[in-house]
Amino acid sequence: MNGVGEFFSWSRFVDDIPRLLPYLPVTLGIVAYAIILGVFLGMVIALLRIHGQWFFQPFLRLYISFMRGTPMLVQILIVFYGLPIVLQALGIEANRWDKIVFVYIAFALNEGAFLSEIFRSSILSVPTGQMEAALSVGLTRWQAYRRIVLPQAIRIALPSFGTDFIALFHGTSLAFLIGVVDIMGRAKTLGASTKHALEAYLFIALLFIVASALLRLLFHFLDRKLSYT
Amino acid sequence: MEFNAVYFWESLQSGLTYLPRTMELTGIPILCGFVFGILFAVVRVYKVSFFSPLIAVFVVIYQGLPTVVALLIFNLMFMANFNAVSSSLSLGITAAQIDNIWIGIVVLSLQAICNIEEAFRGAFYSVDNGQHAAALSVGLTEVQTLRRIILPQMLPVALPMVTNNIVGIIKNSSIVVAIGITEVLAGASIPASKTYSFLESYIAAALIYWVLTACVEYTFRRIELRGRKYRRQLA
Repeated sequence: MNGVGEFFSWSRFVDDIPRLLPYLPVTLGIVAYAIILGVFLGMVIALLRIHGQWFFQPFLRLYISFMRGTPMLVQILIVFYGLPIVLQALGIEANRWDKIVFVYIAFALNEGAFLSEIFRSSILSVPTGQMEAALSVGLTRWQAYRRIVLPQAIRIALPSFGTDFIALFHGTSLAFLIGVVDIMGRAKTLGASTKHALEAYLFIALLFIVASALLRLLFHFLDRKLSYT
Repeated sequence: MEFNAVYFWESLQSGLTYLPRTMELTGIPILCGFVFGILFAVVRVYKVSFFSPLIAVFVVIYQGLPTVVALLIFNLMFMANFNAVSSSLSLGITAAQIDNIWIGIVVLSLQAICNIEEAFRGAFYSVDNGQHAAALSVGLTEVQTLRRIILPQMLPVALPMVTNNIVGIIKNSSIVVAIGITEVLAGASIPASKTYSFLESYIAAALIYWVLTACVEYTFRRIELRGRKYRRQLA
């Protein structure tokens, strides 16, 4: 490495920034898809876990246990290699799909499981009396959920949701391992072409550290703002 | 292409032979995490000057860093600087002679220390201040108070979080494949390099991790219930 110049240089660090930043939206896109699909899936699973028929329960428990008990990287790899086979059996050709679609699906499935547990425990921690009181004054079950139970549950879920959100944001850094060109993938190609990857990785590290700290502050602020005690 | 049970079995066996490597990658960080995590939590709770803010800043920085980024940076630094450091200290070893699993162990250890420190610090604050004051008022020293009054009360609070941290470390240990360390995940995919049965390999790896984390969760759940039993007797 000595032949190519010094190990770390600030000028390369500055040069790398405009080459990396255009790929940040790819990373943020993974977060956005995962959170939107994950919240939807998580809500459905949480409600099924609370109100669903008994025969759903073992399957849902198994699903949640698998998603929580295996590494995110392994889940991405299983979706990437497994989903095309499953879809082929259903007559859909998925081999040509963009790699990032598999990453969206893998993260959405994972988030669905994690968020369902957060939603379920926060819905269950709202006292039953709240639901009973809402029904007794003539609200329908849906109205009672929407106006009485969920606002209280969201308040309880917020801190765990924040932690989960930051973990998801960190998890997106794994997508480049199956060849997605997000900000990490771009850093890898930069490293391969210039023989200097350290500056790019350090910039990404800085980006993640600052973003995580800001997110944590944001959730802390929201938490304080929403507490009515 | 469909699921091949023979390849799956082959991958499972290959993955299991690398289980000791994963144990090494998780056991040492967990041990470091407990020793330094509790020590650092005490330092921060007692607001030891200089060290307390230093640890606080380090935890914020390191917890903001994704594992894979930390691994890649540490790996590059190690590759580029180890030989120079080694020769200046005349250790007589080169980077090539060192198993790169140690890079993974260092990265995961730092992560374990940060996470366990945060878990224990949170648990410290959950013990009522009056407990501390009462213990001192009956003549216990600060160390006795910590060991006999505070620690026994904070352990049940810290336990669920520590369980999550340990499961997290086991899961994160799979990321070390990014710098070419062979453990369960890489081990399970060795047969796939010949047969292209990647799906079977990754499902085999998932199964091993799943059993491992389920065992950890079951064990800690038992310890938690045991602790709760004593609590009820006191009440």
